[in-house]
Amino acid sequence: MRLSVAAAISHGRVYRRLGLSPRSRLDLLRNLVTALVRYERIETPWARADEMRGYAERLIDYAKRGDRDERAMRMADFWLTEKDLIHKLFKVLAPRFQTHPGSYTRLLQIPNRDGLDRAKMAVIELKGNPLPPLVRPRRDSDKTLLNQLLKGYRQDARPRGTPV
Amino acid sequence: MAAACGRLVPRGAGIALPGRCFSLSGYRVSSGEKPPKFQPPPKPVIIDRKTRKEESRFLSPEFIPPRGRKDPLKYYIERKDMIQRRKVFNIPEFYVGSVLAVTTANPYASDKSNRFVGICIQRGGKGLGATFVLRNVIEDQGVEICYDLYSPRIQAIEVLKLEKRLDENLMYLRDALPEYSTFDVNMKPVPRMGHEEIPVNKVQVRMKPKPWSKRWERPKYNIKGIKFELPEHKMQAAQKWSQPWLEFDMLREYDTSKIEEKIRKELSEELGK
Repeated sequence: MRLSVAAAISHGRVYRRLGLSPRSRLDLLRNLVTALVRYERIETPWARADEMRGYAERLIDYAKRGDRDERAMRMADFWLTEKDLIHKLFKVLAPRFQTHPGSYTRLLQIPNRDGLDRAKMAVIELKGNPLPPLVRPRRDSDKTLLNQLLKGYRQDARPRGTPV
Repeated sequence: MAAACGRLVPRGAGIALPGRCFSLSGYRVSSGEKPPKFQPPPKPVIIDRKTRKEESRFLSPEFIPPRGRKDPLKYYIERKDMIQRRKVFNIPEFYVGSVLAVTTANPYASDKSNRFVGICIQRGGKGLGATFVLRNVIEDQGVEICYDLYSPRIQAIEVLKLEKRLDENLMYLRDALPEYSTFDVNMKPVPRMGHEEIPVNKVQVRMKPKPWSKRWERPKYNIKGIKFELPEHKMQAAQKWSQPWLEFDMLREYDTSKIEEKIRKELSEELGK
């Protein structure tokens, strides 16, 4: 009679196992959240960035409640190990995201790490940060077939000058 | 009144004028006007807002869908069936810690029904499979029966005593002294002074000597309703299993307020029809 779920099956588990223990996992993510709030764009392994994303967004939701809220302050106090960032969270980040209802972070994958482990790396950044953008939206070149056809249409549609 | 009395003699002024002595109370006969028509006082307007609020604030816990990757269609269909059953049969509001009397249909009993009185120690399950466990001690034997809320075999649910306790789960009553689980089978329903707050019974239950079925002193159960008479070092040793980081783990929180509002609205619409 099997009394517990077999160790290898993890159906429906949402939390990844990072670090040495559940406490260590939270400490790891806490350091990453602190770094994100300080530098607004960080480069970490993709798994850690993905775990951290949920916590960062919930932290900003708590910060939106305002610093008068007892619970919000306790959360910020736990999650930000450097205490000068609590001020930045409530005074800079919360007003920046006040109008947005959700998704305050952007997660982009980058080439694997150069070291021996070749880990899958990602860059996670807060939206609206002052750094230069990571992705430049590229317009299609003028020489593509569709653009040439559209250019011709626009020229034909324009009223011609008086023929002499 | 004072102005209408003509010449006024200040009361208690110590000046005794001969003869003239106006009375300030009552109507003025001397002026010769008709007395004013009797105006009855305005009727007090009783705004019975409290009843509406109290009823609408309670949502039975089995309506709230649990978290997870489940299709909400399943819970929607179940909710329709639950509402259908509630229209036909009244399921009263009760909490863990209230004393209930349940009559079920039993084909083998002499009058085809079975009545059981007990304290509700647990409410589990979501949707149509919602259950509640009633416990009582009958002739020195502890008896627990787990009923389905929406079972068609249940003929009546009567709340004898509506109250809450300090915990959501009273399974520790199994290891408590039997006096805390005994309830008179012919108990009369305690009348509730309508529409106040639900009373919270802050009783601290005394336990039988260890071993217990579960180690209730450990922080994972977070029990407030037991009077632990264990030595201090045992209580300290139990704190070794505490996980203080769990309260800061934001992804474990399940905010049900918006879901609850939607379901309440749906319920009030359907049951109002």
